[in-house]
Amino acid sequence: MVKYTLRRLLQGIPTFFGITILSYLLMTAAPGGPVAALTFGPNVSPQDRQQLAARLGVNDPLPIQYLRWLLGDDWMRWDSDGDGIADSSFLIPLDADGDGEPEPPGVRQGVLRGDFGRSFFYRRDVASMIGERVAATMELGASALLLGLSVGVPIGIVAAVTRGSRFDTATRVMAVMFQAIPVFWLGLLLIMLFGSALPRALGLDSPILPMGGRCPPVLIGGCPPIYGRIEYLILPTFVLATGAIAIYSRYIRASMLDVMSQDYMRTAHSKGLKGRSVWFRHGARNALIPLATFLGPAITGLLGGAAITETIFSWPGLGRFAVEAVRAQDFPIVMAVVIITAIATLLGYILSDILYALIDPRIRFD
Amino acid sequence: MKISTKFLLSGVLVVVLALMAAPLAAQDGPEGGVIIEGNLGGDPATFSPIIASDTASSRITEFLFPDLLSVDPSQAIIVPREGNPLASSAVVDSWDINEDGTVYTFNMRQDMVWSDGTPITSADVVYVWDAAVAGQEGIVDTPLSFIVAAPGEETGILDVQAVDDFTFEVTFASSACDALFDAASLEPVPSHIYPEDLSLINDFEENLNPTVTANVFSFGEFRPGEQVSLLADQNYIDADLGFVNLDGYIYRNVPDLNVIVEQYLAGELSVVDNPNVARRADIRADEGSQVYSYPGDRWDYLAFNLADPTNPQNGLDADGNAIDQGNHPLFGDVRVRQAIARAINVDAIIDAAVFGEGSRMTAHLIPASWAYHTELPPIAFDPEMAAEMLAEAGWADADGNGVLEATEDALYADAGTEFVFTLYTNEGNTRRTAMGTLVQDQLSQVGIQVDFQTIDFNTLLDIMDSQTFDTLILGWRNGYPDRPDSTQLFTPASDVVGSGSNFTSFNNAEFTSLNEQAQFVPGCDPAERAEFYFQMQEIMQEELPYVWMFAQDGMYAARTEVNGFDPFPAQLYWNIDTWSVRSAE
Repeated sequence: MVKYTLRRLLQGIPTFFGITILSYLLMTAAPGGPVAALTFGPNVSPQDRQQLAARLGVNDPLPIQYLRWLLGDDWMRWDSDGDGIADSSFLIPLDADGDGEPEPPGVRQGVLRGDFGRSFFYRRDVASMIGERVAATMELGASALLLGLSVGVPIGIVAAVTRGSRFDTATRVMAVMFQAIPVFWLGLLLIMLFGSALPRALGLDSPILPMGGRCPPVLIGGCPPIYGRIEYLILPTFVLATGAIAIYSRYIRASMLDVMSQDYMRTAHSKGLKGRSVWFRHGARNALIPLATFLGPAITGLLGGAAITETIFSWPGLGRFAVEAVRAQDFPIVMAVVIITAIATLLGYILSDILYALIDPRIRFD
Repeated sequence: MKISTKFLLSGVLVVVLALMAAPLAAQDGPEGGVIIEGNLGGDPATFSPIIASDTASSRITEFLFPDLLSVDPSQAIIVPREGNPLASSAVVDSWDINEDGTVYTFNMRQDMVWSDGTPITSADVVYVWDAAVAGQEGIVDTPLSFIVAAPGEETGILDVQAVDDFTFEVTFASSACDALFDAASLEPVPSHIYPEDLSLINDFEENLNPTVTANVFSFGEFRPGEQVSLLADQNYIDADLGFVNLDGYIYRNVPDLNVIVEQYLAGELSVVDNPNVARRADIRADEGSQVYSYPGDRWDYLAFNLADPTNPQNGLDADGNAIDQGNHPLFGDVRVRQAIARAINVDAIIDAAVFGEGSRMTAHLIPASWAYHTELPPIAFDPEMAAEMLAEAGWADADGNGVLEATEDALYADAGTEFVFTLYTNEGNTRRTAMGTLVQDQLSQVGIQVDFQTIDFNTLLDIMDSQTFDTLILGWRNGYPDRPDSTQLFTPASDVVGSGSNFTSFNNAEFTSLNEQAQFVPGCDPAERAEFYFQMQEIMQEELPYVWMFAQDGMYAARTEVNGFDPFPAQLYWNIDTWSVRSAE
């Protein structure tokens, strides 16, 4: 298994570089650019814009920009005599903005050395900004995944066992509804329902459930542990889980129906085992095996966040953060999120393959 | 009976005295409460005045760090603190100007200290200047680099020197009246805790956790993606009541336009700043709200490309001489622009696009500006006159297809050219989409066919900068205090393909001259300067590089529990030290 895992990881390296090149090309090919977005205002002079462009390095040739992102720029422009002023350069000019003075020495180390760069807009280290949002992202994603599985899987099994029944029909309708309802609409509806409509109807002074955020709005004291603010998770988790419930219930139902038509199930029935025992002990176990292909990418995919749900519920996650960065053409943040998501997805599929082989004895590592 | 009457009278007297004493007692200490405001944008990027440039960061830094210069919030102009009762808190009391108007000597107060007890001195101002210079060299990541005068430029600061601990001198590149705006950007920081090596400012730990401040609030905590909290600083020296009345302030991220209003109406937010126009009626109808509306500082326009869009060129060459930029076949003729301005019903657009929440623009200055020309009426909607003016300009519908064609009399269009053009705006903006749709419909009534397209914002900026468009709908937001200077928007020096804000290629020598004269009025008296700006507005109403649409009205709303809510235009929190929040009974 170790050999297999290593091989898969090595195979992932060219894929990773392919993704970075493609993403970088797509991002920089987009019209506009960070300078136009950052300097849009009635009192900005052309000189201010040119100065900013030189500082961000966005006027450099595309391969140079990519290399700077990948390998840093401390080897492109440096200070060899230690006086703090750059005196040597490679690939890029010493004086990029043409003001007769050399630009400062490069300080970036590049993604391959763990430096995701500095946000154009926030002017902060991108890695630390992403780190600040990972916990919230995982918290909401894991809750939604857990709810999706714990509701979707039993529904799927029971719907398959009671195929054609009212329950089966009702859950089918529910699945279609959950998949069709736009998340932003459902979120807004629930916020209005639990935030204002129901409290008003019940004569309450405050919302039944918080209308957004991850933690209570207190002046000092930080965010309490999750058990102290569980009410903040209820609405966003439900909204985010609706899609998962719909998908898992339909997927498990199909898988279960497939399993129920297998010979070993008929054998179990013919041996006189009770229906429930056959369905749940033999059927459901096997029906769950294909779920492993879902779980790997689903777990690692939690890192990607859920932009719409996070926006509606003011949840401080990575999805919302990434969408805002795309709008502002904040390349370092966009690329960092792309890289993290790409690595997570690659690892997710590898994990999924390993899980599949571990669960299903018919599959061997090859 | 007598005893009981006396007893009753005594009781009444006690009650009356108690009631009289109650307000006095309330002034003995803070009433307390927390203001929670929704933040529609992203996180503040920083809490350092040196690095801050975005709205969210400025919201927080203005509460934490002292201003350099005072502003009169009732007029939105910079004033000396001395002798102006409404002047905002600032470290500078007064200033003297040398004879040629290029050197200002600022006299600082000596009673202001940082929260750690260190006096605020001229060194704290000079440090910010040094950071600005380092910013121009690319060492510090600061927007302040724009105040540093570039070689050969007439604007900006050349140098800042400390004269003594509480006096400093600023040398400007010229005697321009806007010099004070540049100087005002030098908001002091506690230089005694900032790094001597300026390159370390970029990642200085105080940028996100300022421990030494000097204003109404001190820093509480920052929860990225969620909120920033501030705590009342009872050492605030300019508190009107002698103390800060609130317990604190929370700036809470609520990134959705509708959710922010819902949270406000449900009482989860105490204040909302410029809510979605579509929801303002709900707020006005809410009994628990106190509302303040004002002519806003964001304005929308329809811009014409006046130059040849097939051959975009800069307004001036390297020597400052005008370049022949050709003429747009349709909009190069001022009569056509004037006709279009009369064919567009701006009032109807205000009703439809912003639910009536807009104030008409008469020219290029917002109605809230101190230099706004109140005597100048807006251009009246008159489609018949528009049709006549188009006919005079050489446009007629000869083939009867409902679209005008150019005749031999047309100034720049070839005979037979149909009056068809493209109008762009940014997608996802319902207000501007409504504006474009209505313009398209209204102009069709006078025989003009508009190809209206909504495109991605960044693509629109690309087209705008490249000067290859016909027309576009966009908007600007003015700063505070208002700065009516038009150098960047409407003078040829800023007509730079790819990066200039004068993307319409407007060039009017008289306008440019008046703009410069307004900058160099001896003594910089606002009333005298305004006379120049009035003339400029009259020119702009004739010349029309833009169709002047409207400034979207601003609105502040606060829950009725909030005491002290008394805003001025674009100045919600000028008196926040006196605010309090009644607790729910």
